[in-house]
This record gives sequence, structure tokens and C-alpha cells, in this order.
Amino acid sequence: MSLPARLLLLQVLAPLVAILFGAVVASGILLAIDRDPLAVYGQMLRFTLTRADSLASIFFKATPLILAGLAAALAFRASLWNIGVEGQYYVGAILAAYVGFAVRGLPGVVHLPLAVLAGAAGGAAWAFLPIALRLRRGAHEVITTIMMNYIAAALVLYLLEPGLLRDPAQAGTPRVRTPEVLPGARLPSLRPLLDLVGLQIPGYSSLNGMLVVGLLLCVLFALVLRRTTFGFEVRAVAANPQAAEAAGIPLGRVLFTMFLLSGAVAGLVGLSDTLGFFGYFDIDFPKGYGFLGISVALLARNHPVGVIPAALLLAFLDRGAQGVQVFAGVPREVITIMQGVIILAIVVAYELLTRYLRALRKREAARAEPARPPLPAPGEGRRAGEAAGGGTP
Amino acid sequence: MSEVLELAGTLLSAALLASAIRLTVPILLAALGAVFTERGGVVNIGLEGMMIMGTFWGAATTYFTARALPELVAAVPDLAPLAGMGAAVLAGAALALVHAVVAVTFRVDQIISGVALNLLAVGLARFLNILFFRVATQSPGIEGFTPISIPLLRDLPALAPVARNLSPVIPLALLLVVGGHWVLVRTRFGLRLRAVGEHPLAADTLGIDVYRMRYLGVLLSGALAGLAGGYLAIEQGHGYLEGMTQGRGFIALAAMIFGNWWPVGALGASALFGYFDALSLRVVALRIPYQFITVLPHIVTILVLAGVVRRAQPPAADGLPYAKEEE
Amino acid sequence: MDTGPPVIELRRITKRFPGVVANDRVDLAVHAGEIHALVGENGAGKSTLMKILYGLYLPDEGEVVVRGRPVRLESPRQALRLGIGMVHQHFMLIPRFTVTENVILGAEPVRRGDRLALREAEAAVAAIARRYGFAIDPRALVADLSVGEQQRVEIIKVLYRGAEVLILDEPTAVLAPQEVEDLFENLRRLRAQGKTIIFISHRLEEVLAIADRVTVLRRGAVVGTVRAAETTRAQLAEMMVGRPVLLAVERRETAPGPVRLHAEGLWALDGRGLPRVRDVTFEVRAGEIYALAGVEGNGQSELVEALVGLRPIARGRLRIDGRDVTHAGPRAIRLLGVAHIPEDRHRRGLVLPMEVRENLVLGHHTRPEFTRGPLLRQAAVDRFAADRVRAYDVRVPSLATPALALSGGNQQKVVVAREFAFDPQVLVAAQPTRGLDIGATEFVQQQLMEAKARGMAVLLVSVSLDEVFSLADRIGVLFHGEVVGEFRRGEVTPQELGLYMTGAKRQVPA
Repeated sequence: MSLPARLLLLQVLAPLVAILFGAVVASGILLAIDRDPLAVYGQMLRFTLTRADSLASIFFKATPLILAGLAAALAFRASLWNIGVEGQYYVGAILAAYVGFAVRGLPGVVHLPLAVLAGAAGGAAWAFLPIALRLRRGAHEVITTIMMNYIAAALVLYLLEPGLLRDPAQAGTPRVRTPEVLPGARLPSLRPLLDLVGLQIPGYSSLNGMLVVGLLLCVLFALVLRRTTFGFEVRAVAANPQAAEAAGIPLGRVLFTMFLLSGAVAGLVGLSDTLGFFGYFDIDFPKGYGFLGISVALLARNHPVGVIPAALLLAFLDRGAQGVQVFAGVPREVITIMQGVIILAIVVAYELLTRYLRALRKREAARAEPARPPLPAPGEGRRAGEAAGGGTP
Repeated sequence: MSEVLELAGTLLSAALLASAIRLTVPILLAALGAVFTERGGVVNIGLEGMMIMGTFWGAATTYFTARALPELVAAVPDLAPLAGMGAAVLAGAALALVHAVVAVTFRVDQIISGVALNLLAVGLARFLNILFFRVATQSPGIEGFTPISIPLLRDLPALAPVARNLSPVIPLALLLVVGGHWVLVRTRFGLRLRAVGEHPLAADTLGIDVYRMRYLGVLLSGALAGLAGGYLAIEQGHGYLEGMTQGRGFIALAAMIFGNWWPVGALGASALFGYFDALSLRVVALRIPYQFITVLPHIVTILVLAGVVRRAQPPAADGLPYAKEEE
Repeated sequence: MDTGPPVIELRRITKRFPGVVANDRVDLAVHAGEIHALVGENGAGKSTLMKILYGLYLPDEGEVVVRGRPVRLESPRQALRLGIGMVHQHFMLIPRFTVTENVILGAEPVRRGDRLALREAEAAVAAIARRYGFAIDPRALVADLSVGEQQRVEIIKVLYRGAEVLILDEPTAVLAPQEVEDLFENLRRLRAQGKTIIFISHRLEEVLAIADRVTVLRRGAVVGTVRAAETTRAQLAEMMVGRPVLLAVERRETAPGPVRLHAEGLWALDGRGLPRVRDVTFEVRAGEIYALAGVEGNGQSELVEALVGLRPIARGRLRIDGRDVTHAGPRAIRLLGVAHIPEDRHRRGLVLPMEVRENLVLGHHTRPEFTRGPLLRQAAVDRFAADRVRAYDVRVPSLATPALALSGGNQQKVVVAREFAFDPQVLVAAQPTRGLDIGATEFVQQQLMEAKARGMAVLLVSVSLDEVFSLADRIGVLFHGEVVGEFRRGEVTPQELGLYMTGAKRQVPA
């Protein structure tokens, strides 16, 4: 088999093997609680793949995962650890909600993009401190971003105090949330678009425009990394910051930009819910997308476009977990554990794959250099030197 | 002026200090574990997950031991919490074993492995709790160790809160700090562990099994993190509650850095965080919204990292996977 | 020297790695009490062979015979038990530990409870040092020792473990001429006490000075074994390469032009705030090669970094073509036409996981030739890369091959090809032939000569006196961060230069 074909095969096999491994471990757990793994998986597949509302739900669940995965992947591509996606999306979501309900008199075509930008700005702002501390003081961004997550949780709790962003109309009820965003700031549903292409989704589905935004951003960033000078600089900095520095690449600026971009994308993660499904930000806002996003990025090997299938996989597993909980009485955490095991298995598989590829490459290059080239005899030295030098401008 | 004095009094009250000492322990134990693993050259971000496993297994084992062996427990005081602590240590070490396999043997990036393990631990804890107790987020209440008190100091009324009603784990933790320092500096194991963290290739050429030393460092860190979690659940929370670790596994890493990778330094740093943790639990008359008081330790962590880190000197090969040349 | 049966015998040793045969049926016999040199170019298989002898590798074929008995050496520990010890080229020392801790690591004396018997250890180290005449303080931190002293610690390490056979891998690579003499004295003393020494080197004049017999390896196979007294440098070089070798580069004479690089009173600090470059002043003109000689660790790395903008200049001025660039960063200095061949091509020179064509364009990637707005023009990059690869004869299966797959020589060619593009005015070349075999070394040195002939101002920083004397028009000596001497070509001999390099002599500042 030719080298490129073998490469492709391995790159597809690796995640599949990891998924299989995860399924095996989950099967073990299922057997331990007296369930038939095959029956459970069968039910899961039937539930997720044969119902139209499941498919729509999978894409709806995948939307924040795509964005969170992209945010994490962007940082990881620059060798930066943005574990703060979680906090960044809280801040982005509440800021977007604020712009959504507090800013009046704007037409929808302005209001919605403004709210979305506010979300991005909130996420980027929350990413600022960790990267600044990392660049200026060498503080490890893993710890600082995780701390920022806790602080963000406290911040949004604080902002939901009465008199601040809390909706006074909800006083007397147990619901603690911001007022609803104005209609001009709500994300349009995807239903009309899908109807056009003949895809029917159930009336209650909340699939919205954020999905399109997510997909477009993935493609955009993939192109940026591959085709632009900035993307080239990012890749160089991630692989060898010292060589990049020696080549004149401004390390600090590149890392800072990438991290803030990561934060900005993270800020969008919660918008599918805030500006779409719910229309407000409340105290029981969905949590955990940040860490799921990291899982997505790892599954996708930090490739912006790979994030899409990875997010779909996790959304599929999540929907499946729902299904088995309701219909088979299996706690959904079994699937969560399966996810964790898959992540670990996949990073091991990728590491082994990378090493194998490296060895293959080395062998290939050694073959390209046959016996040492005959050195020129004494008199010919100058001519050989001239021939080598003659090609230079 | 009197306001300042009053504030000082509140901030330094014996009750607060006693609380601080109690709250230092989990951070300290985890930080001590972090020192050992990083001295061996392996970064362990998964300490939080190992602590979580410690909290769960500590609580569950204590509960089931008390339920299953009531006569024995009545005869031998502290049997149930002891069993719980033992289980907590083992649970932390078990998760650490996975980290060791993935990060040391397979040489996957140590940070990724740690993050993945944290995710796994959260899911596992929920699942197991449902399995054992039918709810996802908390276990039934349990009783901790019989409290002890310090012989002479307990008779001084001013120091009463500090010297009485102490968990026996507190002196244990201090002993572990002293013992840890001694092990690192004066034993063969400590010398080899440090060598492996500074220059694994050199150690390898001298016949030291780098992988084995690193495994031991990682397992030790998991055991200590598990112990920290066990203490948290058994002695403080008197039960397991989801999220009770509140990021202390990460704060412990900051304490290790602040303590310059030495056990005694980690003690000082952990005490600082413990103090702010204690502060956050008491309704202090500070003009800060209460939501932020709960994250005081986290804010302090960032400040510490921002202020201190430049002069810190980690072990030279910290975080770098080691590959024997033959492979 | 013992003429009885050999203490070490390697019979038909063969070792293969992916794509290359490192050792090809090697036969080697070393007698007790002799100093036996193993020579060959980089990649000839000397290190591999010794690693087999030291237990770090297992041979694919052949056997190792120690004192008449075949053994299977599976670890350095085993080798040590048989009395074979290795002093590595790159010291395996832990800077933060003391001399004693480094010596005993892996063979620590312990008391009950795993407790280290440190006092006994210190006494043992002191005893060994006394016995063989090494001057060393057992309590000193290795980080505070000189290179020569660190080497002594490495030797004590193997003696502590009872080594009777010492393998020294390129021991003189990091030493000044005086320190080499000290080392040779120590080696003679060891030999007098019955130790056997195997000495790996590619420095032929040193080999002839110290060895009793010499074995030459070429491309993994033994070419022959001769007595040192019965051979010459030229003969050994010819055996190493397989044909008569030019031992010096053909010189090109040019008239130097205007001053292109001017360093005035430069001071630079290291990570701990200690000065590593002290009050350095020199200038380099167009069309000349100014070589800075000096033993490694005397501030060369820091000075080079300061010159190309990678390290802040604490005091003093740096001027390129008259423009003050003292506080400029690497990009600005590059744009002024300064090219840089870094001393560590893996760290500063190449992004190893990236493709060859990407590495070729690194640093040039923002030029209008390669960009259209924010986008990279891939076709232009490919054309440029193909042209460079052809011109510099870089052996690669394809332009998309990652740089890490290339041999050291080809990697350095990529760096040279990149740096010489777009007509640089100034070239800062730091240890440009480090780790390269004779062919690649000749090539790079040829390129430096060409550069000078084309009017570039070339600053060469090198620890190799051979290289310095063969290429330089003017020579400066760096010692403890200061330029302690400056000479024109022909004004100084290597021996005298060595005195400056070790600080024994210095020119009175003008």
C-alpha cells in the first residue's frame, strides 16, 4: 500500500479503535450492572438515528460543542492551554443577553450581530487576564484559566442579583434570570432554510442560525491556519517557539492574538441557548460545555474542520445517553464515562500514530540519500563550490 | 481606627485561624503530592480528579463500613473513617496509575492526560453515586474521626479553638510534610526521584529505572490527593457532595509552585490559601459581595501566580516525556 | 602496555537502525593498559559501537568478549559490573546536585531506612580525586564548576564504580588546549595505574598525541588499526574518508570593505541577571571573516543572541551599517540584511515538524514575493524551495518532507540555503559545522568562503581552532565574556591562542 494511502487509513482507524475501546469499557460497566450491552447499544442507535427529532436534537446539541471545540482547538494549535472556555462562555452569554435586552431601538439586522459580537467580546475579555499573565509573568495558563472559570461562575451569580441584570418581572417566582432579549436580537430558526431543501424537522426543534455560524467559523479558521502568513506563524510558534523567534516572528503578539481569538469563539458557545432556544440567561444555564469542548478538540486532533464530526459524535453520544436513560433505565453517566475513556484512548492512539509516522518519514528520507555523494578531488573543490554558490541570487 | 482594629481582630481571630488550619489540610496534602510527582518530572493536572475520587470513595467506604459492621465499629472507634481514608488513598492512587500509564509509558502530553482524567473522574463519581446511593450528587451523612486536642495549649482559653477539636489528620499532614522533606533530601529514593526530574537521561545511563521512579512519584501524588479528598469528605463535609473539591486540586498546584517545589514551601503556600478559604466561609464584614468571597482563594491563586512565578525554578525536566534511546 | 590477550574484544558487531547500518561487522580488540583511539567522521558508527560496549544498545549480530568471556551487555549497570565505564561527550551531570551526589547516583551508599550515607560518600570521592590527582571539591555544586572540572567529575563517576576500562566519547570537544593537556596528563596517570582507555575522537592531532593505537571506522565498518607512532594525520584522514582529503578550505582573498557590524561595549546578562557578555567591542567589515574563538561557555551563545536581537543588550551599542539596532528585535535586524546560522539548528534553526519548504521560507514568509495580502502564495513558495534545494544539493524525497526526517548535514544545508537567500549583508554563523561529517563540513566552510568573496561581512563563532585558523581573516578570543585578544591572520599560533582562550594571557586594552 502506498504511503499516503496507509497514512489516511491509519488516521481514520485510530479514532475508530479508540471508540471501540470506549465501547468495550462501557460494556464492562453495563454487564456489571446487569444489562446486556448489545441490547443497550441497539436501543441507543435506534433512538438516535431513526427519529427525526433525534437528528435535529443532535445538531442542536452539537452547535455549542462545535464552537467550544473550535475555541479549545484554536488555543491548542498555538500550544496554549485554554481550559477557561467554560468561564469565557458564561461571560459571553450574559453580556450578549444584556445587549439583547437592554439596547433598544435597533433594527434586527443590527441588533443581532451586535449581540453576537458582545458575546465574542465577553469571551475574549475573560481570556485576556490569563494570557497577559502568561506572557508577562510566565504564569501557567492552565491554572489561571481554571481559576477564572470559578470566578466567572461567581460573577454571573452576582450579576443576576436584583437591581442588576435580574428580570424584575420574575420576582416572586423561583426563576432567576435576565429579561428576555428583544425579538431583534434572537437567532433565526433554521427551519425555513431546511424546509427549502426539503428536510422536515419537528416544530419544537430549536435548531438555529448559530450552527451555520459555527460551521463557517470552522472552515474559516482551517483556511487561516493553512493559507495565511498568520497561520504559518502560529504553526511555527506552536512547534518551536525559539526557532520562530529567531526567524523574526513576534512570539508574544501571535500567542496573544490566538488566545483572544480562542476566547472570542468561546464567548459564542452559549449564544445558541441565550439568543436562540431560551432567549435569556438564567441561573440554571447549561454548564459543562467548556470541558466537553476540550474533549471535542482532543478528538479532532485540534483540526478546526475535524471539530465538526467530533462534536457530532459527542452530541450523538449525549442524545443516546438520554435515550438509554429514559427507555432502558441505564444511568446516562455510563455514557459520560465512555466519553472519558474514548478521550484517553484516542490521545494514546494519536501519540502512537504520530510516532509511527515519524519513523516512516525518517526511513523514507534516509532512502532518498543513497551512498554519500562523491566529494570533489582537490582540484575540483573550487568548481563544486561555485556550482553550489552559483544558484544563489 | 477602631474599625481597622476590629477588622484586624476579625481577620486574626482564633476561630478563623482554627478554620484556616482545617482548610489548609486538603490543599497541603494535594500540594505535597504535586511536589513528589513534579520532582520526578511528571506534571499531574489530574490531581483534582484524584481528589474527587478520594472524596467519593472515602465517604462511601466509611458509610458502608459503618452499616455493614456495626458491632466491630462500636468496638473499634474510628474504624469506619479509617477504612474510608484507606479507600480514598487507594482510589486516588488508582486514577494516578492511569495517568502514569498514559503519560509515562505512552508519553502522551501530560496536560492532556490530566485534563482527560479530570473529566473521567467527574463522570465516574456521578455514576458510582447513582449506583450506590441512587442520587447523582451526594451521599448520606457519615461520622469522622474522634477529635483530638493538643495537650498543653488546650488549657489556654484564647487558643481553645485552635488547640481543641482537631482532626487527627492534621498532625498527620504536618508529619507528612516533614517526612516528605526528609525523604526528598536524605534518602536514596529522594535523590533518584529528583535526578529523574532534573536529567532523566543521566539517571538512565547510571542504571536508574526512569519509568519506575516516575510511576512511583505519580502514584504517590495520587495517593496524597486521594487522602486530601478523603479528609475533605470524612472530616469536613461529613459526606460526599458533588463539586466539594472546588478546584483545590488546581490551587494545590499553585501552592507547589509558590513553595518552589519543596514540601515546606508548599506548607507555607497552602496555609495562605487555607486562610483565604476560611475567610470565604465566614460572613465577614467586608464590603465585597458574597459571591466573590467564595472565590477568594481562586483570586488569591491568580495573584500569587502573577506575582511569584518568575523566580520559580521547577525541576529541569518537568513536564517532558522521557523516551529511552532504543525505541 | 600489555601484549597478552585483549581485555575487550568486539567480534563482527553489526547494528542496524531504520534506513542505516550503523555498525557493519566490526572487529575491535583493546589490550589492558593501553590508550586506544577510535576515529571516524560523524555517522561512522563510533558512538554506536561504544554504546553497545556500554550496554545502552544490544548488537543485532556479533558478540562482545570481556576478559576472554563472551557477555551480553543489557544495561550500563551490567557493563559497570564488568568494569566498563563511559564518560559521555555531553556530560550526564545534574547541575543542581553536588559533585558527590552526581558521583554516587545509582550506586549510593545507604544506611538503614534508605538513608544516604553522605559523609562516607564525600570521603570516598575525595579519596579517588587524591589518588588520581584530580583537583575537585566533593561538596561543590556542579553548576558552579568549569567544563574541565565537570569532565573530571564524569571520570570520577566511573572510577567510583570500579571501572577498569574507561570509554571517553569526544572528551576534548569542549576543552581549550591547556585543558586538553591536563586531561591527557590525567589519562597517562590512569594508564600508569593499569586502567585501559578507549578514546573516541575526530581530532586527529590529539589522537596522535595521546593514543597508543588507533582504529579507523568508516560508514560503520573498520578500515584498519594502526599504531599511533607509525601513522600520520593525513593517512588517518584518508582512511576516515576513503580518499585523500583537503584538510583546509581553499582561501579566497578579498579587500575588506566598509564596516558592516559594529559592537561597542556590549554587555548582556543571563537568566539570573549575571553578566555573560562583558564590554565586548569589535567590528566586522564587508568581505572579511572575523572569527571569535573561545572555549564553549565563555559567552559565545549570549553574544550571538544579543547580536541578532534575541537577547537584550544591557549596556553598549550595536550598529549594523551604521544604524543603531541596540534595542531592535530579531525581525528588524533581519530586515536590515542580517542572516543568522544558529549554533543549535534543532532549537533555533529549524521547526523540525514542519516541511522542508516551510522551513526554507521561515523568516522570509512576510516578503511580498510570498504573500498576497494576508495569504501565503503557495506556488511561489514551492518554486523558491525547489530552487534552493537544487542549488544547495539538499537530499530530500520531496519538498513536503518534514525537516526532522533529514540527516544533520542536510538540515544544516536547509538552514544555510535559507539564510543565504535574498542577499544578506551580514552573516552571523555560530558553530556552523557542529555535528556535521567531513563532507558537510567542507560544504559549509566553502559557503562561508563564498559569502566573504561576495562581499558579506561574516562573523564566525567557533570552538574549533582548525576552523578558525583555516577560515579567518581576523581572530578575536572570547574568555569569560570578554574579548581578551584580537589578531590578524598569521599573527598568532594555535598554542598562543590557547593561552588567551584559558585566560592565561590577555592583550592590554588599547
